[in-house]
Amino acid sequence: MKPLESERAVDPAAAELEDVSFTYAGGDREALQEVDFELRPGEMVGIMGASGAGKSTLAKCLNRIVPRFENGTFRGIVRVGGRALDGERVCDVASMVGMVFQDFEAQLFSTNVAHEVAFAMEQIGMPRDEIAARIGPALAAVGLAGFDDRDPTSLSGGEKQRLAIASVLALRPGVVVLDEPTSDLDPEGKAEVFALIHRMRGQGVSLVVIEHEAEELRNCDRIVLLREGKIIAHGPPAELMVRLELLEDCGVHPPDVNRVMDALGMHAHAASVEEAETIIRAHFPRTAATIATMPVSSEPAPQPRIPEPRTNDENAQPFLRVEQLSFAYPFGPRVLDDVTLAIAAGEFVAIIGQNGSGKTTLAKHLVGLLAPSAGKILIGGRNRATLHPAETAHEVGYVFQNPDHQIFAATVGDEVAFGPRNFGLDDVEIARRSEEVLRVVNLTSERDRDPFLLSKGERQRLAVASVLALRPRMLILDEPTTGLDYREQRRMMALVSDLNRAGIAIVMITHTPWLVAEYARRLVLMREGRVMFDGGVREFFERDELLANSSFRPPEATMLGRRFGFTALRPEELADWIKARS
Amino acid sequence: MPIYLYIDRGSIVHRLNPTVKVFALFIMFWSVYWVDHPLALLPLGLVMVALAQLTGSWPNFYRLRWLFILLIFFTTLAWMVFYRKGPALINTRIIHLSRASLIFGFGRGLKLAELLATSVLFLSTTKVEEFTAGLQRLGVPYRVGFAITLSFRLVPLFIDSALTVVQAQSLRGYDFNRGGPLERVKRYVPVVIPVFMGALRKANNMAMALEARGFGISATPTSYIDYPIRARDRVAFAALVGLGAVYFLIYYSGYGTISVK
Repeated sequence: MKPLESERAVDPAAAELEDVSFTYAGGDREALQEVDFELRPGEMVGIMGASGAGKSTLAKCLNRIVPRFENGTFRGIVRVGGRALDGERVCDVASMVGMVFQDFEAQLFSTNVAHEVAFAMEQIGMPRDEIAARIGPALAAVGLAGFDDRDPTSLSGGEKQRLAIASVLALRPGVVVLDEPTSDLDPEGKAEVFALIHRMRGQGVSLVVIEHEAEELRNCDRIVLLREGKIIAHGPPAELMVRLELLEDCGVHPPDVNRVMDALGMHAHAASVEEAETIIRAHFPRTAATIATMPVSSEPAPQPRIPEPRTNDENAQPFLRVEQLSFAYPFGPRVLDDVTLAIAAGEFVAIIGQNGSGKTTLAKHLVGLLAPSAGKILIGGRNRATLHPAETAHEVGYVFQNPDHQIFAATVGDEVAFGPRNFGLDDVEIARRSEEVLRVVNLTSERDRDPFLLSKGERQRLAVASVLALRPRMLILDEPTTGLDYREQRRMMALVSDLNRAGIAIVMITHTPWLVAEYARRLVLMREGRVMFDGGVREFFERDELLANSSFRPPEATMLGRRFGFTALRPEELADWIKARS
Repeated sequence: MPIYLYIDRGSIVHRLNPTVKVFALFIMFWSVYWVDHPLALLPLGLVMVALAQLTGSWPNFYRLRWLFILLIFFTTLAWMVFYRKGPALINTRIIHLSRASLIFGFGRGLKLAELLATSVLFLSTTKVEEFTAGLQRLGVPYRVGFAITLSFRLVPLFIDSALTVVQAQSLRGYDFNRGGPLERVKRYVPVVIPVFMGALRKANNMAMALEARGFGISATPTSYIDYPIRARDRVAFAALVGLGAVYFLIYYSGYGTISVK
């Protein structure tokens, strides 16, 4: 990946790494191994790879967090705008390289938006007049004009992340590095941030973007694929994104549309759903001739018979019933408003909705962490209000979004045994259950390890195991795949599906469209505390007006399928359908 | 739920120079320090009530009402154990209830409540950036001032995380209220460890983000907001000096203490 000498003489790279290796203090292997990387002026480079592949380490080299902030052994040269950074501190580089992190909460320290943007400029000693003159344009650039006096903590996730970007842009750095900027955002926030990234690119900012979802990086100039600290492939998206196996092997979620075309035997890359449609129609002229471009009427197109598990058995007594539930914090607005739903044993329900729509509040009611202001919840016919949360822990389990909110024990085995021990089970039973759940989550070999040394994906599975050890009949998972790479997400969801097949009802709160499409059978859409939709997943994706108002985007395979008149939930399903008609 | 106590109202107190507000914080603490008698503490309390009204800080006092009530109640009660002076109305091995112990205990409770009220008033009317600027003006190094103000940002985050951890562990059947006092303290280990580890991670992320935005490049950063000294600041300063002097005189003349006959 080294540039030609002649190129460098003419136009220095916006940023480059030359033969960089880094080992974290206490680390047993190199996080980066002899990496050469170049970012040309005005270029947008996407960095992808599994968790632990070295993506963040590479990014942090560009602004000296590695090796000045992170301790370890560093070798190699980093240049920004042709200038070697040897000896520079992180703060010295701040006006050349701006960095935006995944954890947007940790990036905002100020009382109002204007102060937040001013912060970096104050640090470098910029005169007051100039700071004042730059705040407006920086906020306007990220679509937050007029937000000056707002409290950053009152902003939505997408707004917070855009504010973090504005505060970096105010210094007008030539290079902006974004390390998984949208991992914690809902689809709307994600779209906002990526729209902003593309605007910055249009303004000539050189960009490095780390991301797990290949779809988001389809329009960048180049992709760099990392594995175990090494760049194993790089090139334009059209080249790399057709190598589906390689992407998956590197923990990257390949674009749905490319997966569809691959399953159709075409080795092609499409930059958008529209483009994929054109390519497919050209290859399958018979399909194109028989199927309308878009559903003509507003009625859903007739669907092929696909056996789908029943969402609710009318005759069976539902395991859990929510009746006209409303909730408001004292003196606060209503967070839940007249919610009614029932969940039967063995169902798989996804709850979706914007941040703040009431999803987690509803889930907390189901396990008794919150008490309704009005209405009631019945578990197996008993009123939830009369039961202590711990009393129903073996009926309804709750896995929090962040596994680190519950992990504390010295070993993985102790962590799993914690729940059963609290319920006074005998040692034989505790050992049997620990054995069982560690096998289920595939952590048996880690039994004696310190849980804090596990990867995020492993910690998430451990959290599930420690809740499963109580053998609940229903499991609530709050964003179970946040912060996991594609491989870990698949492993996590395979586990959840297995549990569901074993008869455990699953309620999953999520923002991720493909998880809903591929795994859930029933979907509950919440908005402003109300249930806006409750029904089959396929049925939901056919309701255009509902989708338009939901801030939820169907997966691209579904969008592509609908262009052919079929609501597909998986790329392979769409490919089979097209093949059958050609 | 807002994390900060700051209430953006724009009252005259809000608009005071941050240095004057930090000085006011000091003078209030100073005045409370010198006197013990509830009657001597009363005028100061009335000043605070007036300030709460003027600055629109009541919502914060409402949020913390139980803290104020419990602080006064339990301090009064506690001093009945330790302050064993004056003719007793009730005198057991544990409790010594006399007019003197009641007044002393209540005075102590009021004192703590006034210290808390001063802090609430200060934080209701002062942005953290102003606090940093005020401290800097008084000669506190920028980094130290910033660290102090950052802690105001972090504490609510940690409390929030602790509440989540308590919920997570109680859903695993954990009972925090079992056993004697020592056992109960030990039972908080499953909360303390996740919160501590989370705090470390959060602090690390924050430090990284701070440095990436230039923190540390200069020992004396510029300030986006100008804080000029205006006439109202001079008046407020003079009034505060007067208040501090009056309270010192009350102490000096012996009126602020509690005499036991």
